[in-house]
Amino acid sequence: MPFHNRRRRFRRGRSPTTLPRFVLVGNPNVGKSVIFNLLTRRYASVSNYPGTTVELTSGSTTLNHQPALIIDTPGVNSLIPMSEEEIVTRNILIFQNPRAIILVIDSKNLRRGLLIALQLAEMGLPFVIDLNMEDEAKSLGMEIDTDKLSELLGVKVVNTVGTQKKGIKELVDLIPQASTATYPVSYCPEIEEGIAKLVPLIKSSRIKKRAIALMLLAGDRSPIPWLSPTVERKTVSQIDHIMHLTEAKLHQPLGSLINQQLLKIADEIIQKVQKERGTEKRNWQEVVAQLSLHPLWGTLILLFVLFLVYQFVGRFGAGTTATFMEEVVFGKYINPWVTEGLKFLLPVKFLQELMLGEYGLVTIALTYSFAIILPIVTYFFLAFALLEDSGYLPRLSAMLNSPFKIIGLTGKAVLPLMLGFGCCTMATLSARILDSKKERMLVTLLLALSIPCSAQMAVILALLAGFSLKATLWWGGTILAVLIGTSYASSRLLPGAPPDFIMELPPIRLPQLSNILMKTGSRIVWYLKEAVPLFILGTFVLFVLDKLDFLSYIENLASPVITQFLDLPSQTTRAFIGGFLRRDYGVAGLYLLAKQGQLSGTQIVVSVTTLTLFVPCIANLFVMIKERGWKIAFLMLAFIIPVSLLIGGLLNFVLRTLAVQF
Amino acid sequence: MEDKEAEEIFEALWTLRENGTPPNKENISRIAHLEHPHEGIERLVEKGALVEKEGKLLFTPESEKKASGIIRRHRLAEVLLHEVLAIESSHIMESTACEFEHILSPEVTDSVCTFLGHPPICPHGKPIPRGSCCSKFRVKVKPLIRRISDLQPGEEGKIRYITAEVHPRMERLSSLGVVPGSVVKLRQKRPSFVIEVGHTVIAIDQDIAKSIFVQKT
Repeated sequence: MPFHNRRRRFRRGRSPTTLPRFVLVGNPNVGKSVIFNLLTRRYASVSNYPGTTVELTSGSTTLNHQPALIIDTPGVNSLIPMSEEEIVTRNILIFQNPRAIILVIDSKNLRRGLLIALQLAEMGLPFVIDLNMEDEAKSLGMEIDTDKLSELLGVKVVNTVGTQKKGIKELVDLIPQASTATYPVSYCPEIEEGIAKLVPLIKSSRIKKRAIALMLLAGDRSPIPWLSPTVERKTVSQIDHIMHLTEAKLHQPLGSLINQQLLKIADEIIQKVQKERGTEKRNWQEVVAQLSLHPLWGTLILLFVLFLVYQFVGRFGAGTTATFMEEVVFGKYINPWVTEGLKFLLPVKFLQELMLGEYGLVTIALTYSFAIILPIVTYFFLAFALLEDSGYLPRLSAMLNSPFKIIGLTGKAVLPLMLGFGCCTMATLSARILDSKKERMLVTLLLALSIPCSAQMAVILALLAGFSLKATLWWGGTILAVLIGTSYASSRLLPGAPPDFIMELPPIRLPQLSNILMKTGSRIVWYLKEAVPLFILGTFVLFVLDKLDFLSYIENLASPVITQFLDLPSQTTRAFIGGFLRRDYGVAGLYLLAKQGQLSGTQIVVSVTTLTLFVPCIANLFVMIKERGWKIAFLMLAFIIPVSLLIGGLLNFVLRTLAVQF
Repeated sequence: MEDKEAEEIFEALWTLRENGTPPNKENISRIAHLEHPHEGIERLVEKGALVEKEGKLLFTPESEKKASGIIRRHRLAEVLLHEVLAIESSHIMESTACEFEHILSPEVTDSVCTFLGHPPICPHGKPIPRGSCCSKFRVKVKPLIRRISDLQPGEEGKIRYITAEVHPRMERLSSLGVVPGSVVKLRQKRPSFVIEVGHTVIAIDQDIAKSIFVQKT
């Protein structure tokens, strides 16, 4: 059973350290990562929870003169899990045996935070409550009686303002006093009946059986391995039966009903501890928030932000910095030095070629991934973190949701698509954040087909814009049309319902520099660990293919199509093959030919457009295989190759028929 | 049994009168959903509930009141089924409404009428007889239940229920605090629907906005 594998894999991966663990839990956007950074002093490490794509940050620190390990979990809305993140967070609470849990709550959204507190109470786990963002609550005229709350729940409560480092010392002092909550939680009779029927089927666990029974009732089947040593099919069907019976009596999905009843209990508690003098926010943050979603102003802000990001990442990152890195840092210093060094260490010609040749690991793979892509993604991650922390990013998604829906995506897809303009390999990895499998596949296809990454964009624009505006428009227009058309058609043909768009909009806040740097830093590490090896592997594969003369074989095979169908000179075939290795090499090849006067205006537009649409770079292909599987990746490739050539041929035909002059 | 029979005949008579079709025995028998309508009509005439005049059947003041109540319940049930439960099939709507009219008590009927905002006509466009709750409408505006997508930006309402075809949607909404009983405010409709529950602001699809029913406060 898959669940057994997951559990075993996790156990094996557990570190042998005996450091006491403390886990941070809370809703998204409550400032957990800020609290985490304040609690941990040294650099935190990011890793995947085994068997999942969920990332966890953990760091060691000293709490009250004792070494400790602090684990930060992704934001969750409920511990009766509905998403992979919630499953992972719930599993950590159970299997990592934390000494104490720190529940971080956004003071002005006490209701949602109490939902989790009540769930922790039912699980019987010890925790303390950190009412963060006290300043924002105060400015709304809200007051929470923390003593009363603490008394009612039976756990310690502290107020903090993470961004101002207020209250952190008090929090640290309270952590050793973590306790299990004593607030009585009960549901309607039908659910209590369901719980009573399920409890006997559950063997003892680190959390109370009641809590597991509720998860099972809500439809979560991941706790099944914890039920009894030998899980029989009979037990599973028994559980399903009890769930259906209960649901039939109540005519509502149980998961949401349970949340509903917990929220009602939370409301009762809030009545006793919170006073609110409702004041409508009129500060600058609220004004910006309103404007950013305004039909007119919002659109203008959107275009302005996209323009700024393009300038920052495209010009500054891909242009200035990358060029500097490639020509000066690597070109003048690193590469010559390494070349000499390796020539000395590896007198074997074959190995020298492997490292330094046309498909050399150092001259191509490392240079490309460090000199070109690294600066691009660094700038991109900085911009991205800025958009995230300011609270603008979800509003960007909301603005784009309506048009995106027409082509079968949701507003959330803007995130990986935007990243694709930086580096498609990274963007394909980031498609994980999308909620439905269908959307992930669609975005992966669009990235591989029509989104030009920064590396090639720089050269494309140098070639086309320097040539004629008309050419740029023909290129841009064709790419856009293919993007929209493919998305629209694929979303109709692929099975699966259109995904829901439900996006929480956090308040607009002034981003914290330390947080941005921390986030960007850990994402760069992620890039280095995940993407760079793929560039190296890809280059190696092409090196081998070249040695086996396979590449020239492909070139001969492809030549007739390129020359006849697309009316291009045979030298351009080289550029197409080159684009597979490094996106910028492909276009650079065309740039050279154009400069030598070997390409007419029409030929330039046709070749550049076809190349943009043509196969993704080999690193991107590897990521596609890794994320979506061999079958899907090759199906996409089988789609992309003919389609890109067809569009190229069509464009060629149209341009010639209309006798367009450039 | 006898009462139900009487109710069917009253309903048939009212409908004929409304249409302008002659309310004679043949027509009544034709549209009343009964096995032996002729005998039923005879019984009612004998009891004095109906009056026969020149081949046409007429209500007495008493039976007129009763008939009005039946028609009101039937048509309110139709509005309930059509507007709130989105039952499109006229066949299902008709047969279910037919059952409803016999079991709704006067209090429940007035509650349903208020709940629906005192609708003046049924989905077929026919008038719904007024009740005591409707006259109060002129003095105080009673609360209405509407889809949040029908509210204007700035308006608030208490969520009465959420109709969701897919479980995951309801669960995601519930974990954000969007559950029946919560007060939700509509902040804007374009370019995206944005709602606020507590101090949580959420952007949602139009589809989702259409599935949240609120009672305006």
